[in-house]
Amino acid sequence: MTKAKKYWKGLAELNDNPLVEKLKQNEFVEEIPVDKFLGDKELSSTSTSRRDFLKFLGFSTAAATLAACETPINKVIPYVIKPEEITPGIANYYATTMYDGHDYASVLVKTREGRPIKIDSNKSATNARIQASVLSLYDSGRLKNPMKVGVDTDWNTADAEIITKLNKIQNNGGTIAILSSTIVSPSTKQLIADFSAAYGNVKHIQMDAVSYSGILDANEASFGVRVLPTYNFDKAEVIVSFGADFLGNWLNADYAKQYVAARNPKNGKMAKHYQVESTLSLTGSNADKRIQMKPSEQKGLLSNLFSALNGGTADSRIAKLTNDLKNNTGKSIIVCNSNDTEVQTLVNSINNKLGNYENTISLSNPSYLKQGNDVDVATLIEEMNAGKIDALITYNVNPSYTLQNAEAYNSGLAKVGLTIATSLYNDESAQKMMYACPDNHYLESWGDANPSNGIYTLMQPTIAPLFKGRQFQESIMNWIGKSDYHVYLQNFYTDIDWNQSLHDGYFTKNQFAANVTLFEVNVPSFDLSKSEGVEFEMYEKISMGDGTQANNPWLQELPDPLSRACWDNYLTMSAATAADLGITNENVSNGALNGNMVNITVNAKTLKNVPVMIQPGQANDTVALAVGYGRTAAGKCGDGIGFNAFSLGNGNAKIEVVGGEYEFAATQLHHTMMGREIVKETTLEDFIKNPYSGNKQVTYATHNGEKPADQVTLWDEHDHSTGHFWNMSIDLTSCIGCSACVVSCHAENNVPVVGKEEVRKSRDMHWLRIDRYFSSDMTKELSKKEKTSAFDMYEKMEDPSGDPEVVFQPVMCQHCNHAPCETVCPVAATSHGSEGQNHMAYNRCVGTRYCANNCPYKVRRFNWFQYSDNDKFDFNMNDDYGKMVLNPDVVVRSRGVIEKCSMCIQKIQEIKLDAKNAGKRVRDEDAQTACSSACPTNAIVFGDVNDETHEVQSLKKEERAYTLLEHLNTAPSVFYQTKIRNKA
Amino acid sequence: MQKEADIRDPLILGNKTYHDITKDISRPVEGKANKYWWILFSLSLVLFIWGILCMAYTIGTGIGAWGLNKTVNWAWDITNFVWWIGIGHAGTLISAVLLLFRQKWRMSINRSAEAMTIFGVAQAALFPLIHMGRPWLAYYVFPIPNQFGSLWVNFNSPLLWDVFAISTYFSVSVVFWYIGLIPDFAMIRDRMSATISPMKKKLYSFLSFGWSGKAKHWQRFEEVSLVLAGLATPLVFSVHSIVSMDFATSIVPGWHTTIFPPYFVLGALFSGFAMVETLLIIMRKVVSLESYITIKHIEYMNVIILLTGSLVGTAYITELFMSWYSGVEFEQYAFLNRATGPYWWAYAIMMTCNVLTPQLYWITKIRTSFVATFILSIFINIGMWFERFVIIVTSLHRDYLPSAWTMFSPSFVDIGIFLGTIGFFFTLFLLYSRTFPVIAQAELKSILKSSGSEYKNKK
Repeated sequence: MTKAKKYWKGLAELNDNPLVEKLKQNEFVEEIPVDKFLGDKELSSTSTSRRDFLKFLGFSTAAATLAACETPINKVIPYVIKPEEITPGIANYYATTMYDGHDYASVLVKTREGRPIKIDSNKSATNARIQASVLSLYDSGRLKNPMKVGVDTDWNTADAEIITKLNKIQNNGGTIAILSSTIVSPSTKQLIADFSAAYGNVKHIQMDAVSYSGILDANEASFGVRVLPTYNFDKAEVIVSFGADFLGNWLNADYAKQYVAARNPKNGKMAKHYQVESTLSLTGSNADKRIQMKPSEQKGLLSNLFSALNGGTADSRIAKLTNDLKNNTGKSIIVCNSNDTEVQTLVNSINNKLGNYENTISLSNPSYLKQGNDVDVATLIEEMNAGKIDALITYNVNPSYTLQNAEAYNSGLAKVGLTIATSLYNDESAQKMMYACPDNHYLESWGDANPSNGIYTLMQPTIAPLFKGRQFQESIMNWIGKSDYHVYLQNFYTDIDWNQSLHDGYFTKNQFAANVTLFEVNVPSFDLSKSEGVEFEMYEKISMGDGTQANNPWLQELPDPLSRACWDNYLTMSAATAADLGITNENVSNGALNGNMVNITVNAKTLKNVPVMIQPGQANDTVALAVGYGRTAAGKCGDGIGFNAFSLGNGNAKIEVVGGEYEFAATQLHHTMMGREIVKETTLEDFIKNPYSGNKQVTYATHNGEKPADQVTLWDEHDHSTGHFWNMSIDLTSCIGCSACVVSCHAENNVPVVGKEEVRKSRDMHWLRIDRYFSSDMTKELSKKEKTSAFDMYEKMEDPSGDPEVVFQPVMCQHCNHAPCETVCPVAATSHGSEGQNHMAYNRCVGTRYCANNCPYKVRRFNWFQYSDNDKFDFNMNDDYGKMVLNPDVVVRSRGVIEKCSMCIQKIQEIKLDAKNAGKRVRDEDAQTACSSACPTNAIVFGDVNDETHEVQSLKKEERAYTLLEHLNTAPSVFYQTKIRNKA
Repeated sequence: MQKEADIRDPLILGNKTYHDITKDISRPVEGKANKYWWILFSLSLVLFIWGILCMAYTIGTGIGAWGLNKTVNWAWDITNFVWWIGIGHAGTLISAVLLLFRQKWRMSINRSAEAMTIFGVAQAALFPLIHMGRPWLAYYVFPIPNQFGSLWVNFNSPLLWDVFAISTYFSVSVVFWYIGLIPDFAMIRDRMSATISPMKKKLYSFLSFGWSGKAKHWQRFEEVSLVLAGLATPLVFSVHSIVSMDFATSIVPGWHTTIFPPYFVLGALFSGFAMVETLLIIMRKVVSLESYITIKHIEYMNVIILLTGSLVGTAYITELFMSWYSGVEFEQYAFLNRATGPYWWAYAIMMTCNVLTPQLYWITKIRTSFVATFILSIFINIGMWFERFVIIVTSLHRDYLPSAWTMFSPSFVDIGIFLGTIGFFFTLFLLYSRTFPVIAQAELKSILKSSGSEYKNKK
């Protein structure tokens, strides 16, 4: 009964047309006319001759070959077995500790595909040098191999020889000295003790390139403990610093955070900050009141202050300061940069008199970051010269460069039988020693640190050693017949949860600290006098510190926050002193700065042809030179740059003007605001009365009456009512100008280094710059009063005051919502994003640079040359090691395109994807740009203003919020908060 | 046959006949070049080659070869661009606007003036191309259908308007010029011997498009000329207006000025006429055209220069007044800085050359002197170059944020490229003067009987 269904393909089949059957049999409906084709006699007489055919063939081959030339061959080596923790494209973060003998920080390291590429802060703030330290890891100028008297050797040979020699010294009863930087690692100290036990007569001497011996010795005299106190600037209401640059380089990068906490105008209270100094420091530039003095006046003024606090009369310069201190007992801090024990004893007495101990300054909770001892070092040098030292092992120090009396040290070195340097570099000191043993970078090392009482941080390797280095601890162990520092370290801390602590990067532990009381000390007394003539002092630059990282191109190109010059150190001098000496600074035809040169003699040592930079704020008859420059064995970037200020030492200077001009590389050539409202500022008093003070809105007269600038517009508004709307707030009151953000931006965004010559041509590539303005003696108000002409007024406004007020203003792409750049690009390479950013499509850019001209903030940077893989720009992007630091999420720009701040779009995309995967909203704390995460004072806050949980939303509504050049109505997504000074 | 007032001075001197005109115009094409031509030509060629090398160096290494920086992103490149474009303007004005106004004196000079336009615009067009960071991607600025997705050009950008304005101007100018050349090419063709110079004969036969001088040909010729003149006239005003919008639509103080379109057009005519004078005063000597390019022609042009120069001066002063009157401190400072800042010397050169120099033409003796006119025309050329330099560099180098203020100094490549375009321009012009009929002789013959000296004197 089954009936097979029959399907027909067409009516012809249904009707049983015979054609259907015929077609079924015949697969090819028509016969292929092969014979006809081949039999065609015309074929041989076709117009395409054989010659033509060969021409076509040749042309096609050549064209195809040429087309194939375009693509470069990049080798990608895939993982054969994927490491468990590495997923390509996903970053891993490790907590570790940064310590290089000068800077200390607890940091979080971002690694991609096993390579550390970015440093962020973990438990402590970071500064520019700490941010840049990741590039120093990939420095191909590092010591790569153990060396013996300048010749490469291997570890086995070196170790065998060293052990033999050490044993021989031990048998002869000789003395072994270990000269190291301050050791913050308890386990290393234990190891050194183990080493001492094994070899008997071992001396361990610690030295700091920039010495804090004075404070340590004074504390020993006053309190019986040779430690540094911890300062709590956040608890202070009056801060007086005699030359101590505590926001920049002095002691600890964390003070900035405390300082800003004490100075939040929202609380209606800001700690009053006095700075008494001769060289304008970062700290001084932030002070509410800065008092200029010569270095020789410091002790006299301190003595005067002490007597004034005890009922004497204060010097007129410090009368107000004294009064403020008297009214704030127990709520003030006096700090001083002096390395003189007596002066520091005086400072201790003043702090004690004011009752600051255990209120704002804590000695029961000491800091262990600096432990160097100048006396020990001097003794060591004497003993070396007397031939009493048989072996010298150095670690993390470069005495041949950093010591003022390096000659004595060097001559002593020649008399030591066995000299071993454990060092990252074959530096000035290591070159003079018998064995140079490559140390490991902190990112390749295990370790621990005990920065202050009860706080411990751990160091873990984030990459296998790049070269044949071996960390110092491992070497020491090897030389006493032990091995494996990692195990040693783990065993050193048996009472902690190792994995959790390593994950967190820190742990706390009760630690014994002496209960201190102030001893009766003789308070030294000094006259209020100053020495005649010009005085010289050394200072540290934010970029270079003590010069350890001199071969780091990011740091070399980081403009000094005050002079805005990079790739140099120079003698800073006031305009008045320069005029006395007949020294000028002038701008040449392309705007670049030139300066005269001098020979300077201090402490019977002379530096020749040192350029002079006229620096507003430098006290008259004083000059200063930054340390960290004048390296001779730092590597290709650091060698031959500047002059070694360590070799001079502080003291009276003889200055002799010599001929010739020096070429500076400065990123900012004009120093005043020219009466424009660029950084809006007010005083705390006025701010309390009227929170809008100093922040007057710009209005335009229209036919409908006065209207604020943002309501007079021709623009079609972008719709930002839904989705994310990324905004950034920059608080000019809390920005201290430390430049950590600038380096962080370099690292995150693969910003190229262009070198001195290009910076000199005003072609620096910084996506984020920190503009610094000095106040001028001429103001619009004064001009109106004195009825000076506009010509005169503007001419005088160009000159900064000799005693200027300083403001810092970080400027990056403002991400205008009415962007002038977007309208003028002919190819739409820069256009607006739906989340408020101004995007830049590099591969669409043809490089007309119209956008850069039309940007009122001048934040767009053009790739004038190919900055990567170009021998003319021999920095990290022209180096196989240096390139490892590049962020794979950010493209390396080619020449001929404009680049600029993207608001770290790669980071935003990442957190958005993460949030999406997790099915959650983007959290405020995750929304960070490179600059906002690096900012130690939280001056830069980034987030989504459409999300009420984000801090930036409330900041946008602040009375202090304003946009830069608001009269242009560019509607930036970046806004600033007015600068407030406590002038009470 | 047209009538002309008897009191008007003759436009063709030397009692020329029709045949004389034919001979005079075809002499440079048929004869051999003299020594001066060869000296000038070699010099121009050397400059041109040097310019090419500088351009190659720029394209090979990057725009960093120039003196630009993060603040001054345009300087000599766009200065040269605007200068060359401006120079072109007189040609179109002479051939189109003066045609519509039936100014007969244009006939002796329009051919060369228009050649100057085309060669000038060719120089100008080089700069937008080579000033790009990635000139090999220059085709991105054209709205070409593409496979990049929705990528398209940005019609808001004045640079894009430039692309259209300049390409339209260039093509209309070329067509207009060429149409006028056809009867004259035919004249040369007819005089060529097929046996002595067969190649030349072939070439000119091709170039003259089969012109046979029929009445129908003449009728069409006249019609097309009129239509093209009508098309070209608005271009005289539109091109430089649009070029000025490169600046006027920006927000840079000193650029953002509504006066710019008329100001630029006038400046362009001013500089264009000066360049026509410079060229023609040389050319009338070098190729012996003293009878055709007379002091009367020069005087007419001087009058235009006096007018446009005075208007340009008024524009400068209006600009200063507006900046003060605006009450905007950024505007005020931009102009104060222009006049008294580090580039005061450039401003002084501009003011002297462009405002003071043309005023000398009130004096008849100067207005009717070849030597004085030649010298002053050079001054105006220099002054107009500096006008563009002043506008571009002094506005950019100190704009809104003093932190970014800097200066500009040209590199040898900047200078080399500018000299190279001058060399290129003169190379083209010198080649033109040896191969093209440099005066529109067919047209000129039409006024011989009304404005020729012989006929004037007869009356």
